[in-house]
Amino acid sequence: MTQFFLILGVGMCVLVLLCLYRATYGPTILNRAAGISAIGTKTLIILLLMGVIYDRIDMFIDISMVYALLNFIGTVVLAKYLERTGEA
Amino acid sequence: MIRESDDVIVKTLARLLVPFIVVYALYVVMHGHYSPGGGFQGGVILAASFVLLCITHGLGKTRKRMSEKLAEVIGSIGVFIYGGIGALCLILGGNYLDYSKLSKILHVTPAEARSLGILGVEIGVALAVMAVMCVVFFAIYTVGESPEDDRSVK
Repeated sequence: MTQFFLILGVGMCVLVLLCLYRATYGPTILNRAAGISAIGTKTLIILLLMGVIYDRIDMFIDISMVYALLNFIGTVVLAKYLERTGEA
Repeated sequence: MIRESDDVIVKTLARLLVPFIVVYALYVVMHGHYSPGGGFQGGVILAASFVLLCITHGLGKTRKRMSEKLAEVIGSIGVFIYGGIGALCLILGGNYLDYSKLSKILHVTPAEARSLGILGVEIGVALAVMAVMCVVFFAIYTVGESPEDDRSVK
């Protein structure tokens, strides 16, 4: 079962790289924002998979919750910035 | 100056989320010696609740709850708690931050005194980090509006 979650985690890392491409070369700023949000969500899943692999899910759930929270606040701040500059 | 957001969804979501963020921050501080986290991380999460309040409800409403002056006072209290517990251990005959010596005044076993001492120090660190994060955030957010900035432009 650990092998399965390990493969799942590696696949997630590949998807993060794809999102990173969109966040780096995105034509507009909204593409970048969406890419960064997707990277945050995938990082959360990778953290939980690591918790399952190391058999310490109770520890990793704490970290992943903080990550989700800060990701949400970061997205709101970015949206606020776009609202102020009017650039979209 | 950051104006109050007029979006109902964002404001309601922030209003619902802020209490849970604060409770979670207290959980991170209290469980710092069992699980990942501790004073610094809990303080940052506490500050994140104020950041969320500031960007959704405006700087004015946030300043009513946490002004720069209050933040400075809370930060000083946090540093005082940290240094005070350390110095108390020094006075009781141990090394700096040697919590086991606190068992003399807390009337518990040295192991329990260590646990309580770490908790006290973490509360102090959390208060200081939260206050300093708020001050830094306010300073960045109000850049260009403070009187010092006006003078430098002239």
